[in-house]
Amino acid sequence: MKIKVTSVYVDDQDKALRFYTEVLGFAKKADFSQGPFRWLTVASPEEPDGTELQLALNNNPAAKAYQQAMFQQRQPAAMFFTDDVKGDYERIKARGAEFTMPPTDVTGSTIAMLKDTCGNLIQLTQLARYSR
Amino acid sequence: MTDREQYTPGPASGAQVRKDGEKWTLILVRELRHSPEKVWQALTDPAHLREWAPFDADGCLGTVGATVKLTTVGAPTPHVTETTVTRADAPNVLEYKWGGFDMRWELEAFGGSTRLTLWTNIGRRFIAMGAAGWHICFDVLDHLLSGTPIGRMVGPEAIKFGGWQRLNAEYAKQFGVET
Repeated sequence: MKIKVTSVYVDDQDKALRFYTEVLGFAKKADFSQGPFRWLTVASPEEPDGTELQLALNNNPAAKAYQQAMFQQRQPAAMFFTDDVKGDYERIKARGAEFTMPPTDVTGSTIAMLKDTCGNLIQLTQLARYSR
Repeated sequence: MTDREQYTPGPASGAQVRKDGEKWTLILVRELRHSPEKVWQALTDPAHLREWAPFDADGCLGTVGATVKLTTVGAPTPHVTETTVTRADAPNVLEYKWGGFDMRWELEAFGGSTRLTLWTNIGRRFIAMGAAGWHICFDVLDHLLSGTPIGRMVGPEAIKFGGWQRLNAEYAKQFGVET
């Protein structure tokens, strides 16, 4: 068994695809539809066969309520790991993304938080490396 | 061999696309050798829909104002949307939404048969897939109404079936889109 797909709810799948590819830099992985259902995922170009993130449409009341509550409590809907959080922060900010937290040192890591324009907060995490 | 195994869809036909900027509408026309009343029942009754349609309904779609849950069959995660029937002029015009899709059905009687027309908005990326899927659904509907049902073919059942791939390519060519 493997952890292969995780999901975030988005309010518009086309808008989400643009943000997650053009602004964050991920690559579209799967995109097919069945009737009004659309299965859409992205993956990291650094790990094309790695874990996929499903961009799921929040078109039901439970999904919308969950998404809004998480956002209001400033809980990230997804967390991405990077080896260069400051570099990613500058790069993504230059593409127009709105950060709610610049790179900030916390226990064990440096984190930054941004809006994904589709109703979510996204956290970028760089683990601290302690020399022994 | 059963009828289902022998079934091969005919060539892509009876479909057109209306392009209004980014909003594309798929228009499908099919002639069925059955009365509009009989076709109407197949479009609105949950027990009939289950035999041919790409969704299950938990109630009858034949009454204006009825609220019905539609479950997309074979979606990779459970997909249920609620709809309210906005028009039901039996046995001629039926309108409701399936998720984000507007669904307008028109049934015209001619010489004991029915000319069935479906208008549905669908993104250009998936419009050929939609046409291919509905083409097969209408074939299955025709068999059902004729008393020789071959069983519903939707979702993965349709996609793994060679006829769907061919139809998808043919409709994509007709519509001038990429598959």
